Amino acid sequence: MEFKLEAHRIVSISLGKIYNSRVQRGGIKLHKNLLVSLVLRSARQVYLSDPCPGLYLAGTAGTPMPQPGEPAAQPPAGWGEAPPPPARAAWPDTEPQPERPAATDAPQAGHPEPAATVTGAGDCLRRREEDTAEAAWGRVVGPRVAAPVGVSDVSPEGPSAGCPPEEPSAPPALCPRKRRTLRKSPAGGSGRRRKGGGERPRKAAEPGQICCDKPVTAHRGP
Amino acid sequence: MPCVTWLGRDRGAAPGPLDEAPCSEGELGVPGLAQCTADIISTVEFNHTGELLATGDKGGRVVIFQREPESKNAPHSQGEYDVYSTFQSHEPEFDYLKSLEIEEKINKIKWLPQQNAAHSLLSTNDKTIKLWKITERDKRPEGYNLKDEEGKLKDLSTVTSLQVPVLKPMDLMVEVSPRRIFANGHTYHINSISVNSDCETYMSADDLRINLWHLAVTDRSFNIVDIKPANMEDLTEVITASEFHPHHCNLFVYSSSKGSLRLCDMRAAALCDRHSKLFEEPEDPSSRSFFSEIISSVSDVKFSHSGRYMLTRDYLTVKVWDLNMEARPIETYQVHDYLRSKLCSLYENDCIFDKFECAWNGSDSVIMTGAYNNFFRMFDRNSKRDVTLEASRESSKPRAVLKPRRVCVGGKRRRDDVSVDSLDFTKKILHTAWHPAENIIAIAATNNLYIFQDKVNSDMH
Repeated sequence: MEFKLEAHRIVSISLGKIYNSRVQRGGIKLHKNLLVSLVLRSARQVYLSDPCPGLYLAGTAGTPMPQPGEPAAQPPAGWGEAPPPPARAAWPDTEPQPERPAATDAPQAGHPEPAATVTGAGDCLRRREEDTAEAAWGRVVGPRVAAPVGVSDVSPEGPSAGCPPEEPSAPPALCPRKRRTLRKSPAGGSGRRRKGGGERPRKAAEPGQICCDKPVTAHRGP
Repeated sequence: MPCVTWLGRDRGAAPGPLDEAPCSEGELGVPGLAQCTADIISTVEFNHTGELLATGDKGGRVVIFQREPESKNAPHSQGEYDVYSTFQSHEPEFDYLKSLEIEEKINKIKWLPQQNAAHSLLSTNDKTIKLWKITERDKRPEGYNLKDEEGKLKDLSTVTSLQVPVLKPMDLMVEVSPRRIFANGHTYHINSISVNSDCETYMSADDLRINLWHLAVTDRSFNIVDIKPANMEDLTEVITASEFHPHHCNLFVYSSSKGSLRLCDMRAAALCDRHSKLFEEPEDPSSRSFFSEIISSVSDVKFSHSGRYMLTRDYLTVKVWDLNMEARPIETYQVHDYLRSKLCSLYENDCIFDKFECAWNGSDSVIMTGAYNNFFRMFDRNSKRDVTLEASRESSKPRAVLKPRRVCVGGKRRRDDVSVDSLDFTKKILHTAWHPAENIIAIAATNNLYIFQDKVNSDMH
């Protein structure tokens, strides 16, 4: 149990660091963020493998069992300290990148049942992510979640999946969920700016809030 | 260190322009605590003779100190380092395409071997490397025909005879000019530069790539290492430091965030992605923790002067590697193992990401590295003895003898011991340098530069 608390604490701290790295001078430091994402992954693995019931899984009966083939499982729904994603403006694509297949969104068939509750939350976040991504930018660059933890179940290794491959200064873990105009946008920017108010309420951008405004329980049905 | 006693010297504090530098908000975030972050020293480097010592700081400035020649008239001021030149090397820039600010902080300075009367050095920030030429002017021509003393044109009707201008001595003036600017070579942040022993090329390394430049060519460079994966999701390690071999111009080493070293031979291929040798120590599974990866990341790598060994620094240790043995280091020294139980707190306050440098002495018998609380450590490879010293104002008074310090972990505590819990983690010595030939060391403690030399060396003069 202590390990779980410790792991959760480390996850919170790590997410805070990733969030703060957005506003640091000089841009995001790839090395530091890679290390933070590795710590995040270790802590998440410990959290998921600890046989105590999850602290924040609302109404969850059992524990999500760790899946060897699923190194990038979804975080539990209550993992609400996920910070808003870093500004997309900070990571323009500097090199051509392949588009992520949308098929990676679908949860893999054959996931054992105990993981369903965990993936359920992730699915909700992922689908929401996708809708907004498509609506806002007109192109699917891959599934992303607010918490910079691995999204895609097919990703074998590495800090995280589900991000645009080219991140000049950030590892994939720091997937921006949406582009945030934190800085004055230069003229002639990439043009992927959100138009109008967007479909996501502004409040989702504030730290500490759950970045999914649909109730999670609604998506855990059959 | 049984036979060497370290003495303080006058601190080489840089006056003048630095006093007027605008102070940004203190890093501690406490209003009113105006710690001038622009003055924080970010790199220290002796030149090849040890006559000059260059420091770079977060504000993009370079300050060069010169060792005063020893004079019999003033026996107490022999061999002291005084300010020789100060110049602004890099300015803050803004990358409009990526909406990124590029810090002006000087990450590294490397001296070029001196080939004529002028001195040259390379300085780099995150994105741009610059070659600076430092020249002295101690004479000026006087007696022009067309200009008067102040340089104003003379009325031609007053010129009745011709004279040959004569060089007359003047106060020494040090002129620094940027000779080359090597820009746009790196997508990621440059962490190291290293001049080749051929004195014609140098390399610059960022997180994922290493480029080879010719000192005379600024519009192109050769990429010699590229560890960027095709898919950034597969990224597992980055390059943390790199250096050319001191004698073999075809060999270089680079370290990674996973704790490995790769020795590459440029004769093998144009792109040295496949290493010639991989130096890696197997991880001890019993010491595995959340932070194992962070503390194994190599923050600095230095070849020995002989070229036979390499010195690496990770968060808790320094290791000496033999180029002929890849399986494990030949020596491992604990710098501050008492921090092993505090890694979580150090992760929280970001100290675990501090990148300490390491240094060899001229004969490769002693290695040095910094720690917290303004402590720095020296390890004698032959006697296996180590010492902890402190860089502080008290210890740096002229001719003050540095007293060895001790950190007590628990148990018996001696009078002057410092307990682990009272260590000041804001006082960190990340950058140190050792004179190439003599026992003179330069220690950068935040925004102060300390220069120490050994008693033996001092008494001889």
